[in-house]
Amino acid sequence: MSKQRQSRFAIISIALTLGAFTLFVFATFVDPLSAYSTELMVAGLALLIASWGIYFFGGRRAQKPEESTENVITVIGCGGCDFREERAFTLGDYIFKELGQCKKCPGNSYIRAIYAVPLKK
Amino acid sequence: MPSIVVNIIWMVAFFAIIILFNQRMQIWSYQRNVEKATARLQFLADKSREDALNSIKQFAQENVDIRSQVTGFLDFFLIEPVDRDPFGVLGRLEHILDNRRDRFKAFVSQIAPKAGKTDAANTEDILEAAMALNLIFKVVRHYLLLGKKTKSLMIFVQLDMQLPMIMKMAEAYFSAQKTFSAGKPIGDGLGALVASKLMLGQPKKQIAEEVVYAELDLSNRKVVVLKAEGPGGVVGKPGEAVKQLVENLGGKVARIFMIDAAAKLEGEKTGEVVEGIGAAIGDPGPEKFKIEDVATKYKIPVDAIICKMDLEEALTTIRKEVVEASDVIVERIKKAILERTKEGDVVIVAGIGNTIGVGQ
Ligand SMILES: [Zn+2]
Repeated sequence: MSKQRQSRFAIISIALTLGAFTLFVFATFVDPLSAYSTELMVAGLALLIASWGIYFFGGRRAQKPEESTENVITVIGCGGCDFREERAFTLGDYIFKELGQCKKCPGNSYIRAIYAVPLKK
Repeated sequence: MPSIVVNIIWMVAFFAIIILFNQRMQIWSYQRNVEKATARLQFLADKSREDALNSIKQFAQENVDIRSQVTGFLDFFLIEPVDRDPFGVLGRLEHILDNRRDRFKAFVSQIAPKAGKTDAANTEDILEAAMALNLIFKVVRHYLLLGKKTKSLMIFVQLDMQLPMIMKMAEAYFSAQKTFSAGKPIGDGLGALVASKLMLGQPKKQIAEEVVYAELDLSNRKVVVLKAEGPGGVVGKPGEAVKQLVENLGGKVARIFMIDAAAKLEGEKTGEVVEGIGAAIGDPGPEKFKIEDVATKYKIPVDAIICKMDLEEALTTIRKEVVEASDVIVERIKKAILERTKEGDVVIVAGIGNTIGVGQ
């Protein structure tokens, strides 16, 4: 997001520089326009300054917003049978935490694993 | 033709600006990068302090001002022992590190008296992350201001060149803090996870500081497995534990296996399991020294099994690849014990790392 914003600023900045350059070329080499060359030069200069301004200060305010970048999964298993369940991580979970009796058999269920799957950025 | 005169004046002025202000423009450009990075670092440092305060608040007593205490504590420092006379430097370092840990514990129990053992340990880790971010921000800001003051291009260039690594580290600590406050297991806890898997169902005994061990029988070998005591965020003193265990056994240990997470090189795969020899432990020195020392004294071979990951993966919630690697390592250890030791031997398996979110 902020990357996108920044690259948009960069494109605007480059476009302005190119515009300024074109004005300079026209003012210097195209005869019918030479009467206005001073004005064109000033306009080109203004464009250049605007381009620098955007380049230097454009991306400044972009602060990354807070967001979760991972999906944390708790895997529950059982010591007595092959029961296996996956759910989202909740506060207080830890690996090998005992969770009491299993849903399927008299054995004890426990947290077998906790892991993160990174979300696409 | 006045327009040509104007053109020439303009061109001259243009090139004069470029030539005369060339370095100044370079400074601007570098300075801008550094300023942006510093702003981000300040944001991270402030946010991590607020997050730390929020997670401490739930364990603090009401109407106690924890803000000023925590803010003051973030500047806590450690002076490393003099190494110009290296004799006994590790002993002195260990002493100072012990002092530091004691001060941390005392501080946490003072500001967060309602925290249990696990939450207190995690709070220490949260504070560590906030301190690291605070320090990084202050150092970068120092060089930024120094560069501005001296108008030195070199200071900005050097700073700018290191920024990608510095920012990566800062972002890693920042995400780490979130993981710590949720008490989730981290990538660095791989060694502890492997040890837990081995000692599952066996009675655990305490040894050394914040380290537990269990004994099990594996194809007629006695295997002593140790790890930091979870699920709080501690690393314990595994070196001291190995030393005590070996000494208690009179040095009759056939092999020591060490399991740890290791920094991967760019291009290497996360969760890759690699074997080698030597004390696989990333402490400042004392713990590693104890293991090497006792292994040398009794001529015990030390095998290392490591799992590759980058700094951010080591400090944030453990990845699926790493959890899968822990099963691979358990099998590798069992196989290695069969191949490299005889029946009746005693083997020590040390799971190294921060055991946050990993019980036993
Ligand atoms: Zn069951």
